[in-house]
Amino acid sequence: MTRKLIKRSVLALGLGTAVFTLSACDGVTVGVGYGVGYDPYYDSMLWNDYYHDHDVDVDVDINRPDRPDRPDRPVRPNPPARPKPPIAKPPSRPHPPVARPPAARPPIHRPSPRRR
Amino acid sequence: MRKLLSMTLTACVAAWSLGASVQADTPVTYTDEGRALFRFEVPDFWTLRTGGPREIEDTELGDARAVSRVMGMRPVTDDNVWMGFVSPSRVSSIQDGLRYLEDIDKFLVKDPTVTSTSDTRIGGLPAHVVRGTGNRDGRGVNFTATVIDLPRGRVAIGVAILQDGSDPSYVDALNAVFASFRSLQ
Repeated sequence: MTRKLIKRSVLALGLGTAVFTLSACDGVTVGVGYGVGYDPYYDSMLWNDYYHDHDVDVDVDINRPDRPDRPDRPVRPNPPARPKPPIAKPPSRPHPPVARPPAARPPIHRPSPRRR
Repeated sequence: MRKLLSMTLTACVAAWSLGASVQADTPVTYTDEGRALFRFEVPDFWTLRTGGPREIEDTELGDARAVSRVMGMRPVTDDNVWMGFVSPSRVSSIQDGLRYLEDIDKFLVKDPTVTSTSDTRIGGLPAHVVRGTGNRDGRGVNFTATVIDLPRGRVAIGVAILQDGSDPSYVDALNAVFASFRSLQ
C-alpha cells in the first residue's frame, strides 16, 4: 500500500516536472513589456503638487500672473560657409573587439621577509 | 483504489504548493542622501526601477520642483500590475503623507473613489492604508495607497496598482512586498 502510494506519487510528480520542463522550452516570448521610457504609473508618482501651493488648485490657478510673451527671435545674418578642409578625415582605426583585461597588479600587502 | 488515488493527489498538491511558495526574493534598500531609510524585497521575475532625486518642470507653468527617489516595480510579464515607493522629503507624519498622496493621486488614477481606509502596522510601524478604485487609460484600476510612519521624521508612501484583467494571484506578491518592509533607522 505505502509502496504503491510512493510509487504513484513519484510517477505523478515526475510527470508534472516533465510537463513544466517541456513547457519551459517553449520560447520566452511571453513578456509584453513597456517600450523604453513609457511607465505611466511611475511617471505619475513623480509628479506632485505637495510643495507647490496648498491653497490653490492647479486647474483654477488665478493668482498666477500671465506670463509675458516670449521675445522675438533675434535676426541673425547667415553664418559664413565653413571652409572645406583639403584633407579628408582618415577612416578611424579598427578597434579591438573586446576590452583588454586589466593588467595584473601585485597585491597591496606583501608579507615581509622572514627575519633571521 | 480510490483512497490511494486521493492520497496520491494530496501528496502531489502538497509537494507542488510547497515548491511554489519558496521564493528567493531580492532585498532592496531605499536611500536618501546616503541615508538608508527602509528596505523591502522585490519578488522574483519583477523589474525594479530605482529612480533617484531629481527636478522636474511643467513646460507650461515653468516651475521646477524637486522630486524624491521613486522606486517602481512590476512583473516582467504583466503590465497591469505596478507598485511604487517614495519617501518625500519634508513629509514627516502620516497626516502630511496623506496630504502628499492627495497631491499625487489625481496623476496616478482618474476619478479615484476611496472604498476603505484603515490604520494598521507595516513592518512594525504605524501605517494608514487607503484602498480604492479609479480608471486609467480607459481601464478600471484598483489601488492601495499606504503611508508608513518611519522613525526620525520620515514617511514611506507605497502605492500598489492592479488594473482590470490582471492576474489576481499578484495580490499575494504585492502583499509579500509589504510583509518584507522594514525600517532601517
